[in-house]
Amino acid sequence: MKTSKRNVCICLAAMVAVAIASSGRLWGLTGAAKSSGSDEQWSIQVDRVEPGETQLAYSFQVATYEGLLEELNKTHQFKHVFREGDRKASDASKLLVLKTTVVAYTAGSETQRAVTTFSGATKVCVRTQLVTRDGKIVLDRKVDGTVRFFGSNLRATHNLARNIAKVMEPSAWSGSGQAELPI
Amino acid sequence: MEHLFVQQKHEKGCLGASAFLSLCGFLLGCTIGAWGQSTAPAVSAGTPFSIRATHLLGFPNTKSNCNGILSIKENTLQFQRSAQPGAEVQIPSIQGVFLGGESKQVGGVPLKLGKAAAPFGSGRVISLFAHKKYDTLTVEYVDSDGGVHGAIFQLSKGEAELVRNELVTRGVSANLGRDQSMERSTRKVSHENK
Repeated sequence: MKTSKRNVCICLAAMVAVAIASSGRLWGLTGAAKSSGSDEQWSIQVDRVEPGETQLAYSFQVATYEGLLEELNKTHQFKHVFREGDRKASDASKLLVLKTTVVAYTAGSETQRAVTTFSGATKVCVRTQLVTRDGKIVLDRKVDGTVRFFGSNLRATHNLARNIAKVMEPSAWSGSGQAELPI
Repeated sequence: MEHLFVQQKHEKGCLGASAFLSLCGFLLGCTIGAWGQSTAPAVSAGTPFSIRATHLLGFPNTKSNCNGILSIKENTLQFQRSAQPGAEVQIPSIQGVFLGGESKQVGGVPLKLGKAAAPFGSGRVISLFAHKKYDTLTVEYVDSDGGVHGAIFQLSKGEAELVRNELVTRGVSANLGRDQSMERSTRKVSHENK
């Protein structure tokens, strides 16, 4: 009777030990995966907004540029978000450059919006390109930013930056995985 | 006859002297004006300059849409909110200053509620008069790593030009800035159509 109890205890102890060991091993594996994932994370450099052939006010260009930096930092999808001209960007092993060119711009009026509701919208349409260091375009999209009802005209740039940041999801530009992109 | 001739000769001499004097006066005036123009920037470059402004975005360690004092002291452009430490940018790091203009609705939430409460949609008429024009001042500067930053300030009509002129006298390149008039035509250019 005593020996059977002892055997049961030994068996339980062995099972607990195996369970602890396996969970520890699994935890180690996930940690390793995480670290390897962060190694493969890309950095991004945001270039200034090109007005193209539109008469986009300089304040709108700057507001879009600053908005993009803020929104991309919020998403945590990139290891670092660099500004144009930042010398630290040259040290990044995997770097993508975000180029934004204005395709269409309709200057609206806040007063017109307040009076009529249906007219006076400010609309900005940009072409967004994500380019690798060797010049390969990995993402090419057209994105809109609009203010239709409430808010100042500059709010269109905020909406635009938020929409561009949404498009920048890795699944949109990496295909099956980030590792496919050339470094 | 002879007397008349002498009188005429005397008048000619008087005219010549007055013309000479007026020429001298004109030249002296021009010289003083030119001297005054050439020395004016040197005097204003040393004096501190400050103006009320609203920071819209982009200045380091400063909240967006906050009111404060935009000032130029010695070699820095500062923005200070009341009773808080100011943020500053070195003037040599400023790459360009750009002016713009916008108009915005004034009155805030109370006026919006009033407009909504007015019967038969008559509140919309108030919107026609409840707007104010203002200037925007966009400053482009670089940080210590070479990264490009942009900051936008909102100032009362006509004041942005004063700040730009003040920055230009302190060495900021004026040819980089391009003015954008407030009356921008609604224009749509599409690359697709071309």
